[in-house]
Amino acid sequence: MMDVGRHPKIELLTYSEIENVTGYIGNFHVNVRKKARYVDEDACTACEKCAEVCPVVAFDEHQLGLASRKAIYIPFPQSVPASYLINMEDCLGTNPIACGKCLEVCDPKCIDYDEKDSIIELDVGVIIVATGMDVIDPTVLDEYHYTEFENVMTSWEFEILTGPGYVTGSELLRPTDRKVPKSIGFIQCVGSRDDKRGHPYCSNICCMNTVKDTLYLKEHYPDMECYVYYMDIRTFGKQYEDLYKRSKEMGVRYIRGIPGDVEEDPETKNVIVAVENTTTGKLEHHELDMLVLSVGVEPRVETADIQKILTLSKAPDGFLAESHYQLNPIDSPTGGIFLAGCCESPKDVKGSVTQASGAAARAERLLSQRRVKVEAITSEIDPDLCTSCGICVKVCPYKAIRIEKKKAPAEVIEAACKGCGTCAAECKFGAITMKHFTDDQILSMIDAMLEEKPEEKICTFACNWCSYAGADLAGLSRIQYPPNARIIRTMCSGRVDEKFIWYAFQKGAPVVLVSGCHFVDCHYIDANRWTQKRIEKIWDKLEQKGIRPERLQLEWCSAAEAKRWQSIMRAAENLRKTVSKQEIEETIRILSNGDKPKTKAKAEAKGKKKPKVTAASSE
Amino acid sequence: MAEEAKFKCLRCGHEYTDTYTPGVPQERTCPKCTSNSVRRMKEK
Repeated sequence: MMDVGRHPKIELLTYSEIENVTGYIGNFHVNVRKKARYVDEDACTACEKCAEVCPVVAFDEHQLGLASRKAIYIPFPQSVPASYLINMEDCLGTNPIACGKCLEVCDPKCIDYDEKDSIIELDVGVIIVATGMDVIDPTVLDEYHYTEFENVMTSWEFEILTGPGYVTGSELLRPTDRKVPKSIGFIQCVGSRDDKRGHPYCSNICCMNTVKDTLYLKEHYPDMECYVYYMDIRTFGKQYEDLYKRSKEMGVRYIRGIPGDVEEDPETKNVIVAVENTTTGKLEHHELDMLVLSVGVEPRVETADIQKILTLSKAPDGFLAESHYQLNPIDSPTGGIFLAGCCESPKDVKGSVTQASGAAARAERLLSQRRVKVEAITSEIDPDLCTSCGICVKVCPYKAIRIEKKKAPAEVIEAACKGCGTCAAECKFGAITMKHFTDDQILSMIDAMLEEKPEEKICTFACNWCSYAGADLAGLSRIQYPPNARIIRTMCSGRVDEKFIWYAFQKGAPVVLVSGCHFVDCHYIDANRWTQKRIEKIWDKLEQKGIRPERLQLEWCSAAEAKRWQSIMRAAENLRKTVSKQEIEETIRILSNGDKPKTKAKAEAKGKKKPKVTAASSE
Repeated sequence: MAEEAKFKCLRCGHEYTDTYTPGVPQERTCPKCTSNSVRRMKEK
């Protein structure tokens, strides 16, 4: 951090928040709110005189309330810049000045009570998100009487108690009697790997943190009895297993079993742990001086705001999702934004440094090129047909479409467009063309598909990344599915325009299946939510017209779910068998003459007149 | 605010009740046949 603070080419904005981000890869415009510190950080010499005279005693957030701070303080000993700031919520008041003692003793005269927040505007090419994570709050779970027993604490609190910056000078003292504990226990996986209490995922860092803590204790207090209660010890990293073995060799007892509950001795305040040792099958009771809950980690509360500001995607566990978890683990789905550290998933220091180095390299590579390759499949807007209705702006997951002025035609930012096609599917005026996946191309595919014996075909739309790949895997794995399935590949299920479905029914399709990625896997952030909305509307319309809604199926299938693809297609085939020729003929009659819906090409052929909305799409 | 709603699977016909938040899309799976063709039944 010191190196970053001193680096001539790095501008460090501390005590600041991102307010808004606009633009796209290579051209981001960022508004940063730099909060008022009320102390000139360049002039402050950190002489400490101001804190000495400050009469306020407040909760020290950095030390989780295990110590106090003043209203004028340095957030933590290693903070950069090493200058004071005033928390105005704690300060006794400046208007009128009720105290002003810090101002009186400040020799460099760097305190300014009237300082205001400032907005800094930055133009940047790339953004690296490294917003970190939070530790699970055990008070919500109240595991093992954490809020009740003083000698039960979290691993984070233990870290502070044994840290060099703490008031005891890194000597571990028991909270109730201020004596060095003779025995201590660690319970693993508190708030982790549990669907009902806490989070279902493994927090990754807790096992090695406990191994490190036990090594510290055994080195400083060799006679202290240490117990670790665990489900599995996960020592996956380089030399981690060696540390674990060393800890055991030093006398730490690892007991495979998680205590159900703990009790407190009312006189000694010792904590009594009852645990079933699943290795021996015996119930053991341990009376301990202290108990440490090895709490897991979770996404920061602000992650949802960051996701919105930067148009990122969130995984089901709440952490930010990478573009591809194996092949693109540093890039976010939005071009020019990279992820580093625990905002993406829980990881240790080494993992965070590795990912941050990768993110820096990815950013540097992009910036040094000074140009980016855009996707070949992007959308294109015909300004003559665009009515500036704004629906494309609303549905674009990447904010790649903008309307600069009122009633001006929408514009596509090609560098930001990823080619999902949702905008083209939602545009009711045929003003948007998806390059390589035009309406004419897809309608022609439907024509070809249903040219002969349409009643025997299952008209299927599959997204490129998941469903089509799932079908491909089924083929490669020799997992058989009905051969009468005819698949039209689109980049995203969001591209499946309402008019394609109507046209397929008009051409005699007995069943239409729209398939895409599961919500969490959507390659285009949240484009497939629009698919679902669209299909739900079409179901209603089908019912209104007297056509069975069942004939339009919607399925989510990942690239790894070949068996699921098989079951989807078998179910579709079973459904197809229930659709009689008469029913198909009746559908064709209901949906008029079966002509191709009007497309952009036809509209242009009519001399750039705005097309009338087709019978099907206007419903 | 989440509210209770009736859903019908368009693959197997199974009808069930689940929570529904207007305006918040949710991936729905039929508890009986795992199909995603689950339609919210609107009260007439």
